[in-house]
Amino acid sequence: MSEKELSKYGEGVGFERIRRITGYLVGTIDRFNNAKRAEVNDRVKHGV
Amino acid sequence: MIVTVKKRDGREMPFNIEKISAAIEKAFRASGELDEQIKASQDQLNLLGNDDVLSSTALQVAASAVGLLEAEGKVKPEIEEIQDAVEKALTEGGYADTAKSYILYRAERTRIREVNTRLMHTLRDITFSSAKESDLKRENANIDGDTAMGTMLKYGSESAKHFYTMMMLKPEHSRAHSEGDIHIHDLDFYSLTMTCCQIDLKKLFKGGFNTGHGHLREPKDIRSYAALAAIAIQSNQNDQHGGQSIPNFDYAMADGVRITYRKAYLSNLVKALILFTGKEEEEILPVVKKLHSEMAEMGMVATLVPNEKFQDAEARELSKVYDTEMVMKAQKFAEKQAYEETDKTTFQAMEAFVHNLNSMHSRAGAQTPFSSINYGMCTEPEARMVMRNLLLTTDEGLGGGETAIFPIQIFRVKEGISLNPGDPNYDLFKLACKVSAKRLFPNFSFQDAPYNLQYYKPGHPETEISYMGCRTRVIGNNYDPTREISFGRGNLSFTSINLPRIAIKMKSVDLFFKELDRMLQLVSDQLMERFAVQSRRKVKNFPFLMGQGVWIDSEKLGWEDTVGEVIKHGTLSIGFIGLAETLVALTGKHHGESEASQELGLKIIGHMREFCDKESKRLGLNFSLLATPAEGLSGRFVRMDKKKFGIIPGVTDRDYYTNSFHVPVYYKISAFKKLSLEAPYHALTNAGHISYVELDGDPTQNLDAFEKIVHHMAKVGIGYGSINHPVDRDPVCGFVGVIGDCCPRCGRSEGHAISEAKIEELRKLYPGMPAFKGIR
Repeated sequence: MSEKELSKYGEGVGFERIRRITGYLVGTIDRFNNAKRAEVNDRVKHGV
Repeated sequence: MIVTVKKRDGREMPFNIEKISAAIEKAFRASGELDEQIKASQDQLNLLGNDDVLSSTALQVAASAVGLLEAEGKVKPEIEEIQDAVEKALTEGGYADTAKSYILYRAERTRIREVNTRLMHTLRDITFSSAKESDLKRENANIDGDTAMGTMLKYGSESAKHFYTMMMLKPEHSRAHSEGDIHIHDLDFYSLTMTCCQIDLKKLFKGGFNTGHGHLREPKDIRSYAALAAIAIQSNQNDQHGGQSIPNFDYAMADGVRITYRKAYLSNLVKALILFTGKEEEEILPVVKKLHSEMAEMGMVATLVPNEKFQDAEARELSKVYDTEMVMKAQKFAEKQAYEETDKTTFQAMEAFVHNLNSMHSRAGAQTPFSSINYGMCTEPEARMVMRNLLLTTDEGLGGGETAIFPIQIFRVKEGISLNPGDPNYDLFKLACKVSAKRLFPNFSFQDAPYNLQYYKPGHPETEISYMGCRTRVIGNNYDPTREISFGRGNLSFTSINLPRIAIKMKSVDLFFKELDRMLQLVSDQLMERFAVQSRRKVKNFPFLMGQGVWIDSEKLGWEDTVGEVIKHGTLSIGFIGLAETLVALTGKHHGESEASQELGLKIIGHMREFCDKESKRLGLNFSLLATPAEGLSGRFVRMDKKKFGIIPGVTDRDYYTNSFHVPVYYKISAFKKLSLEAPYHALTNAGHISYVELDGDPTQNLDAFEKIVHHMAKVGIGYGSINHPVDRDPVCGFVGVIGDCCPRCGRSEGHAISEAKIEELRKLYPGMPAFKGIR
């Protein structure tokens, strides 16, 4: 295999997940405090 | 025989009786119990000096304390044991008052020592732990606690909080705050600033302004309008502890588009005339310039949507010099070109604006300004061009396709303007829905909600409803009912009540309301205390907010004047969190589950609003009720209540209290029902509110449903709302959308790598793909 096929991009890089914290956004979830993280995990989807 | 003592930190030190007697002397001085004896000794010119009476008595008491210790067989007494013995010796010696002041002195020392220890612990936590492990550093997610400036800000903030708690707050307020009955928000800025402001850009731009670091001239095209708008937000951010908002983004930016178009039209007309007539620029330019400025004086200018009055007059005048047919052709060319150029420039201006607000620094680099913009009501073509391009650039995202965090965009919805097909801004509303379905912004505010509509006067943008992105709302004005506007006003400070705790403690509804009243009064008093501190601040303390006339009426004040009078236009807000948990504690069910609970919920929040109205009347100020955003607070109250009352199912069994009046996030309910239940609380919380629902999947695939929800919000009387959905991004391939375990574009799973060959292959399919800068 060529070097291009063997090269590895993005090892250890996670996905960015943006969620609304209250009325505003704050970037990705890893910046949320513990309570807000727990709240985001508990959120259920609302059917239309 | 006592030779050593054991200090609090465990070290052993040589015993020194004079240290004990010195403390006792202080207690005697404080109690005044020996004063008469000292006086007598002075009067009689007794051989013993007055100090000697004091020190000899103190030494005697110290000696008997030591005697007591030795009698108990203590060889290496601890500090606390010595102090106990001194108390006893003083009482036994008949010095009751001195014993009392000694106890007080001891308690005070203990308090200071504890606070100092706590402060040191806090500072150590800030210094040595990363944001990943320190919840404290993630208290406010918009501040990067890992950076040098973020850490410095945190040192200042935590130290200031300790200082105000000990030295400035009334003890009852300080206690209520530290025990978690109430939460005084932004305590670190207690003596310094007010919360936020709605900046009227039109007023600010007139004649230019000074940032405190230099004067900026009145802007002359849409690019500089947008650049100065960002600078205004940045400058004002440093004078306040909350966010900054622009209430009239559409109206203000429209002025910039007008000027840009006029310039573009002139330059294109000249170009066309050069081409058609074969004459030189030096000849044509002065003729056209002179004509335009003469016409402008008569109120005739080139406009984005061409107006006949200008066109005809211009054609008539130019035809005197040039061939009529050529002139008409040149006009056509100039109109088309100028429109396209203006549109393009406006897009670039909006793109730069969004980029600026996501990259420019405030607060010594610890965060970007907390910015919001309101728009949607202006139907002028220039304003529409601004809004369309702003939405388009928001849709595109930042450089790497990332979702912009700022500004918080708030699209005003109104029947007859934007809500329904046929409305002049309906196309923009549709576009706003589409962009929000991808980027979470804009949020939507509802001008027709009765409590917003009551202030609205068509043709007066200052009476349109404006929200600070977080949810704060300022419009009614009890202090000056002739100024019920949003421009130049904002919140002064707010304090939230721990509602669930009252319910847990009181158990019955009747007692609940009694205790709630006590708490409301306590918060009102605390807000007034802080207001008095804020009132003493001077214009010079707020060089931009007050010095540049951003805050309402501040332009009438001098540099050394206090701001007490003008800040009466601001609001003092009482907030709350955890209505759902409160209802569970009182009735066993929250308002999503039971109609009776909903009724009680409305009674509680209605009661709080009545209290605010009553206080406004009584004090001639603006008290208002806030559905607190509670980012940092969501965990604080429940942590304390868990410790105090244990785990109570549905009340303290989670790591957070539910936001304000929301139906709990974990409760299964339809989007429509949730919004219908929450809307009546919007009417009551006049200091601000927001409701949101969570949509499953990718709403860009179902824009009809998205729009239907916004319509439902309008119908049921929501004031400010938004729709949540997952916005994920893979930084490696740049995909934005919903990502489950695998990225739908490049197929990698979290943390896994893809090859360069794969990236090249993808780039052929997605030419706009950002270059990933990570290490291989």
